[in-house]
Amino acid sequence: MQVSTKWLKDYIDIDLTADELAEKFTMAGIPVENVIRAGEGLEKVVTGRIEELKAHPDSDHLQICQMDVGAENLLQIVTGAQNVAEGQIVPVALVGANLPCGKKISKGKMRGVVSNGMLCSADEMNIEGDSSGIYILPDDTPIGIPAAEVLGLDDDILEFELTANRGDCFSVVGLVRELSVLTKKFPRYPVIEVTEDDERNAADLVKIGINAIDLCSRFSARVLTDVKLAPSPDWIVKRLEGAGMRAINNVVDATNFVMLELGQPLHAYDFDAVIGHELTARRAVEGEPLHTLDDTNRLAKGGELVIADAEKAAGLAGIMGSFETEITEKTATVILEAACFNSASIRRTSRAVGIHSEASGRFERGTNEKGTVAALDRVAQLLQDMGACKVCKGVVDVYPNPKPEVKIKFTSAQINQRLGTNYGDAEIIDVLSSLGFKIDPTNKAEELTEEVIDKFATATKNISKAARQIGNKSNVEGFMKNIGETFSGIFKRADEKISDKTKERVEDFVGNISAAVGDMVKTVDMKVASAFEVTVPDWRNDVRLPEDLSEEVARIFGFDKIPSTLPKGNQQGHQSATQNFIDRVKKILSSLGMCEELSFAFTSEQMFDKMQIPADSPLRQAVPIMNPLTDEAPLLRTTLLASIFENAARNFARKNEDVRLFDVAPVFFPKSLPVTEQPLERQQVVGLLMGRREPKGWSQNPAQVDFYDAKGIVEELLAGLSINNYIVEAGTHYALHPGKTAVFKKGRDILVTVGEVHPAVSEALGIKKKIYVFEADIDTLQKFAAKKFTFASLPKYPSISRDLAILVDHDTSAGDVEKVIAKSGGEFFKGVTLFDVYTGEQIPADKKSLAFAIDFRSNERTLKDEEADSAFKNILSAVEKEFGATLRS
Amino acid sequence: MEQQIKELRERAGAAVDGSTNLRELDDVRVKFLGKKGELTALLRGMNQLSAEERPIVGQLVNNARREIEDLIAEKNSQLKASELQAKLASEKIDVTLPGRRIHEGHLHPLTLTLNRVKEIFVSMGYTVEEGPEVETDYYNFEALNLPKDHPARDMQDSFYITEEILLRTQTSPVQARTMERHKNNEPIRMIAPGRVYRRDDYDASHSPMFTQVEGLVIDKGISFADLKGTLEDFSKKIFGEKTKIRLRPSFFPFTEPSAEVDVSCVMCHGEGCKVCQGTGWLEILGAGEVHPDVLKMSGYDPDVVSGFAFGMGIERIAMLTYGLDDMRLLYDNDVRFLKQF
Repeated sequence: MQVSTKWLKDYIDIDLTADELAEKFTMAGIPVENVIRAGEGLEKVVTGRIEELKAHPDSDHLQICQMDVGAENLLQIVTGAQNVAEGQIVPVALVGANLPCGKKISKGKMRGVVSNGMLCSADEMNIEGDSSGIYILPDDTPIGIPAAEVLGLDDDILEFELTANRGDCFSVVGLVRELSVLTKKFPRYPVIEVTEDDERNAADLVKIGINAIDLCSRFSARVLTDVKLAPSPDWIVKRLEGAGMRAINNVVDATNFVMLELGQPLHAYDFDAVIGHELTARRAVEGEPLHTLDDTNRLAKGGELVIADAEKAAGLAGIMGSFETEITEKTATVILEAACFNSASIRRTSRAVGIHSEASGRFERGTNEKGTVAALDRVAQLLQDMGACKVCKGVVDVYPNPKPEVKIKFTSAQINQRLGTNYGDAEIIDVLSSLGFKIDPTNKAEELTEEVIDKFATATKNISKAARQIGNKSNVEGFMKNIGETFSGIFKRADEKISDKTKERVEDFVGNISAAVGDMVKTVDMKVASAFEVTVPDWRNDVRLPEDLSEEVARIFGFDKIPSTLPKGNQQGHQSATQNFIDRVKKILSSLGMCEELSFAFTSEQMFDKMQIPADSPLRQAVPIMNPLTDEAPLLRTTLLASIFENAARNFARKNEDVRLFDVAPVFFPKSLPVTEQPLERQQVVGLLMGRREPKGWSQNPAQVDFYDAKGIVEELLAGLSINNYIVEAGTHYALHPGKTAVFKKGRDILVTVGEVHPAVSEALGIKKKIYVFEADIDTLQKFAAKKFTFASLPKYPSISRDLAILVDHDTSAGDVEKVIAKSGGEFFKGVTLFDVYTGEQIPADKKSLAFAIDFRSNERTLKDEEADSAFKNILSAVEKEFGATLRS
Repeated sequence: MEQQIKELRERAGAAVDGSTNLRELDDVRVKFLGKKGELTALLRGMNQLSAEERPIVGQLVNNARREIEDLIAEKNSQLKASELQAKLASEKIDVTLPGRRIHEGHLHPLTLTLNRVKEIFVSMGYTVEEGPEVETDYYNFEALNLPKDHPARDMQDSFYITEEILLRTQTSPVQARTMERHKNNEPIRMIAPGRVYRRDDYDASHSPMFTQVEGLVIDKGISFADLKGTLEDFSKKIFGEKTKIRLRPSFFPFTEPSAEVDVSCVMCHGEGCKVCQGTGWLEILGAGEVHPDVLKMSGYDPDVVSGFAFGMGIERIAMLTYGLDDMRLLYDNDVRFLKQF
């Protein structure tokens, strides 16, 4: 919503700039999003009269003007304009002006003649108008005043971004109300008076009904006769334009003006077009035709609120009227509607039909049910003032269940405790009553006064006693004077709320305080225990609890006045075991040269296709999003590979060919499809490697990563997580090379799958490189990770190493050979490391050579060579027997 | 004889001087002092001398030997030094050639930022809580005082899975879930970091998925002043000691009073610059005192305890911390970007 500052100033005397107003409103919870400053750049443009016009001696087109700009001397300005003449009044940009068009005016010479400014065109001032020459002002324009003023450009506009709870500020009066509290200035609200000058009763002419009381709580109407359609007076046009609305005709403009002024949307129907002269608020029937104001034929979905005449819907309630009942040149009689509609229903319908009007915006935030009649009267008044109508007697007002008053009980202590403040009763009451909250006069204020008077009396006695003891009269008098002033201040604020009798007593008391000292202020406990009761003003739909009152107090005093403290007491902060575990996984992987990525949780069937995931795979059973952002991301991912592949492809496309990424994030598995409950969320970790093994460099290894680099990372990860004694075997995955995929297992649990990406998948991804990936489930890793760190002491005795180089069949897996070595190694066997794999010359084509370093050691003593030899022999015969291995000489 | 010794001594001296390397020097040593050397030969010739002459000449020969040995030793160390020098000179390399690099790994800047935020709050006694990313309408909205058709639901257009299940639009549902786990108005001090989803277009300052941290403190007597102090403390820790904060009244259905929280601009320190659009302030947080209805719905008694809650976007903080001007950089995962953190 936007409002011109001039309109605000119609109702309150304020001396604040638009920026200051914006700041005040914003800091009180009524956010101003933007200030549109009128006449910006025209600060140094004034009106001036051309006193003398002479041709330039050295130019055909330049002219020398002597300008009266209200200064002592005439100002000489050279102009190139041809539409000027002596005696004209024009806008003059003085030296130093910084015009909206970007021109900066400085003192200068044009063809040798001094020029002290510029005559402006419409374009140069960034206003509407003929720009072929200088902008000529009316002859009666005063000289030497800001041009912006005569151009009507002195009205700054505030653009509000109102929060959903403050429907009451969706009007000029609402804003003025707030402003008067914030500036302590008295508002001048419009006086609404209407003369019912048509003898006929409105109730005899129209029938109003509500058939959906849950969606329309009040429907008020007036009937205007003798309507004369005409343009609105200028002042209304200006106010509407300031609010960003276009003037149409006096009737429509008056309804719009009142909506902006009071916050109550109104609608005007052509009485003669309303069939049966009856209007009923009811739910639309499915498929019911609606011919709306914008000349669009719509079909009702059913259930939305419409205002219908005897035959058909005459408008979507609160959103848009119907085409047939629109006000036209022929309209003679008008039914004026001011109703209160259910905000949720208006919001639903407005979204469904895609129409967001000034009216619907107000209904969505909630309007004041009690304000309908005043709004009708105001429209009638405005039109009557224009001489545009007569007003029938009475308001037809259907209001079956008037909204009860909202009353709130609270104590100041309650509010102070919530805010962490120390405001006194009087201060709090002061704020609330200024905001229109009614404090029951028989209630708290009286009680407070009585109690304070009692306490004052006691205190006065004590003080007098104390004073006599002190004996220094002048000190005592000075002090009492101060106290007297303090208390009279308090009572003045409570003034209007207390009875005359009490007032007298208070005045007497205040007058009588004339002697004493002591702890009087302490004695008077302002925070007396009993609660206040306030009645919430009918325009505030957002206040119903003491907590809501605390916000009113806080925002009016200012959030900056609230102290800063910290919660009392100590608590132990910590992360969960899983969070710590994930942090550990990330730390290990980043220490292994991998970069962490962050990816969106979305994926698509196309990605599953690229990954060769078959239709019946659980990975295809992804959770679909009802309203995805794009067609490319309609599913929730079931595997993080989908995300990391996308990122690898993006990097490859950007010629980043050395990529090492990892990701830890959840994947989603539906419990059933279609989804009926929350899906299962599993945290996964994936890693991806491609490109050079070492960074590119003059003496770096240019080789590309291979399967064993990826596997090495996995082994280091598992070692870092203290996961030991796992089995590695050949595995499968749709997206991976069938011969280059391994799974790390613990029993039946798969810890990690690692492998080379299937060439068809790489190709589908557009990556012309070998890619290696691994994927693991965080929960499974965590299940097997050592909970506690254990330290292995260093050996006390030396170990003996023996190399075993054997020839085995090409298909024999090194892992199997290692298993046999470990099994047959005997009690001193401590470990085996495969240090060479060789095929090629000197070796039969169907064989390969494997070389292991095997360590033997005793924990009790230094091992003898013979003992190592004997264990080595056992190993050798075991591998010979198991694999037909032969010792390589 | 004497003459002979003297002459030999001089020749040896010249030969030592003349040696240009250790091998030559050794040759000199052998020639004069070796078993078959000249000095040894002289000694052998001493048989022919008289008994009186022998000790004298012997003395002379031994002196000459010592002198020559000293000369050789001296020369030897000279030559060794110059030879080492020459060797070192020949070993000179181009030290300007780049060193051998290894692939370096990096945590994502959002993780780094989030870790810092978590650290600060954990040190202030907060636990780190989590919850599902796919939430029910109840936890995401209703338990936060956002009934269906509440206008504030417009502010966060959501990704729906079904009418009742959606991708969470905030991490606040974790607050409701955590409250439900606690009984008897037990105090809570928690943060809930996590991914959240809103149906925003993907541009320089919006993303359909982003990272949020929500905080919740519940106890007896927790006030708005406590919230202010906590956020002030946090802002100073994350953006520096001189940071100021400003609270603007706002509206959230789940808090009352509610505030938008600005920090003094981290770039210009409040002077006004491009980043803060000249205002000197940057909005980073939404916060407030927990609405009594929210407490009630999750089993807390608002007459006994009160609390505050706040929520912030980690992307925003990371972008300010690292001076990033486009949010998409964070989700683009270009390795040239990731390697800078």
